[in-house]
Amino acid sequence: MTVVRAFACVLLTLAAIPAAADDARLRAADPNELAYTYGVGTFAPDYTPPPPGSYALPPIDTVTDHALLDAEGRSTTLFALTQDRVAVVAFVYTTCAETTGCLLSLGVQHRLDRVIGADPNLARRVALVTISFDPERDTPARMAVMRTFHAPQSEWRFATTRDDAQLQPLLADFDQPVAKLRFEDGAWTGLFRHVLKVFLLDGQHRVRNVYSVGFFDPTLVLNDVRTLLLEAAGERAGG
Amino acid sequence: MTRNAFVGRVGMAAVLALLLGAARGRADETCMSPYMPKITGQEDYVYVWTLGVEGVGDGSDKLVTIGANPTDTAHYGKVISSVSVGGRHEAHHAGFGDDRGHLWAGGLDDSLIWVFDVAADPAHPKVVRTIDSFVKDSDGVVGPHTFFALPGRMLVTGLSNDKDHGGRTGLVEYNNDGKYIQTLWLPDKAEYGYDVRVQPRLNRMLTSSFTGWNNYMTPLPKVMANPEAMKHIGSTMVVWDFHARKPIQTLQVPGAPLEIRWALQPRHNYALTAAALTSKIWLIEQKDDGTFAATAVADIANPKDIPFPVDVSLSADDRFLFVDTFMDGSCRVYDVSDPHHPKLVHTQKIGSQVNMVSETWDGKRVYFTSSLLANWDKTGKDNEQFLKAYGWDGKRLTPLFAVDFLKEGLGRPHIMHFGQERFYKNQIYSGETARLAAAR
Repeated sequence: MTVVRAFACVLLTLAAIPAAADDARLRAADPNELAYTYGVGTFAPDYTPPPPGSYALPPIDTVTDHALLDAEGRSTTLFALTQDRVAVVAFVYTTCAETTGCLLSLGVQHRLDRVIGADPNLARRVALVTISFDPERDTPARMAVMRTFHAPQSEWRFATTRDDAQLQPLLADFDQPVAKLRFEDGAWTGLFRHVLKVFLLDGQHRVRNVYSVGFFDPTLVLNDVRTLLLEAAGERAGG
Repeated sequence: MTRNAFVGRVGMAAVLALLLGAARGRADETCMSPYMPKITGQEDYVYVWTLGVEGVGDGSDKLVTIGANPTDTAHYGKVISSVSVGGRHEAHHAGFGDDRGHLWAGGLDDSLIWVFDVAADPAHPKVVRTIDSFVKDSDGVVGPHTFFALPGRMLVTGLSNDKDHGGRTGLVEYNNDGKYIQTLWLPDKAEYGYDVRVQPRLNRMLTSSFTGWNNYMTPLPKVMANPEAMKHIGSTMVVWDFHARKPIQTLQVPGAPLEIRWALQPRHNYALTAAALTSKIWLIEQKDDGTFAATAVADIANPKDIPFPVDVSLSADDRFLFVDTFMDGSCRVYDVSDPHHPKLVHTQKIGSQVNMVSETWDGKRVYFTSSLLANWDKTGKDNEQFLKAYGWDGKRLTPLFAVDFLKEGLGRPHIMHFGQERFYKNQIYSGETARLAAAR
């Protein structure tokens, strides 16, 4: 790691440490130890993704509807936000310190938003949904701040849940493991251990791809989105 | 936190995330799927997927948990638990799912798959799911071998098929709940299978090739003495467009190329493997035009002696390649800093036979097990069955502890994976730095 990257990593960790956490104890930890996802890291794709429609995305699973709170604090549901469109659904928490976790996820969603927002055909048929798995701190008001920061140009919705009881069935349905990361004395660090997963849903709420650190690339995701749209168009044409 | 302060933190974090856009992570036990959380520091447990032996203990295949943390003196080098799956199924390979909480393990004979929960009580894994429909699900793939975690899914390689029990086979995907997704058959003229590894940065997947059920369930001397059987040995590797799951290039690698190890460092666009029958290290390297070339870069011992290299392990810094040769029971360590010219730097006799090798993420410990296949292991006094732990200081292997799997009534130990209490309790690590981190 270069000095610049190391410096940036430390700053990033400090910047993102949640106020509720034991800052001093966290700062004493090696930032690398917070980066629990390994492999190829933040991903700089060195390939050209296969073109849309040249491959298949077989259904992996099907999710059901779940109650949520939107960024205004109103009750809503997952399907109300996706509106049966092709949807890219990401689970994050806003104080994540993992450089290859939520920050990467939000960064990629931001880039997707810009491309989708600039393409009326995509904007009409694709939804982005960002859901917090930290209802205790990520209130609707905080999700609204996130929305303000990202200033969506497409149908990008931010949501949270009322409480843990509302959250857990949602995470289980998506097979998104999340756990509070604790110090050895059992105190919560303010951080979560969570494997980055971002889900591509089709209009029938079927999971058609799951992205993680290693291949969460906007170009690739857009090709997948277009592949599903081509598939849907073909099904309509075929009756 | 005030709204402005929060926005400031979010903004700063986002900007810095972009700054870090090209940063790379590190691997733990260096042959794992990159799509899962890593374990750093000292492992507490070694999980050993073990073949049952008639007359030894309960005679059944089992997952054995060995204590590996020297600070836990009561359990260090001792059998902590053993969970039998009942019967002998040719237990062989296993792999964690994407949450690292579940270990999938397969039987090469009858194609059964067991999923163990190791997160709930890491010292005492439990079977939580059995998949007995692998052949039917996959439309004829036999012999689940490699279990490679993908996000939300498990990618399983086969070794054979139910039509003729030969080497034609495929790859099978399940979701994490054990629901079948799809089968990818190996292409014509490269139809044999064995290992699979993905390099996400290149969107490339490599598969290697071994042999079918007819051979791996037959005693090795009979196979070696049968010219017809020896014709049915894999000699190819396939390069896939991983995202499209499409084979795009077949490479000729004679003599059963087995375990695949992608280099882990940035810009190292290559993988290494060992061909068992020809006893060579092969470099699978991406060329400037994006295609791959396979080149034999070193002999392993004297190929004429058929030392039979089986498992290999590449250190996290891409410097050392540990190569186990089954016939002479030795581990040879090569410096592969220049992957075109591996240099033998150390040889260590491990036992009368040795098969699997697994290096820890910090590069300080190396574990070995003895069993290859029930019908291919040596017999008589040479049929030693053990797990042995060694320390590695960059120059030599030094014995730490050994567990005799026959005396313990367990069986033939095969693949190993690591577990750690802190990890499964979601505890933060206390500043232990790895050699790789120090080097950076």
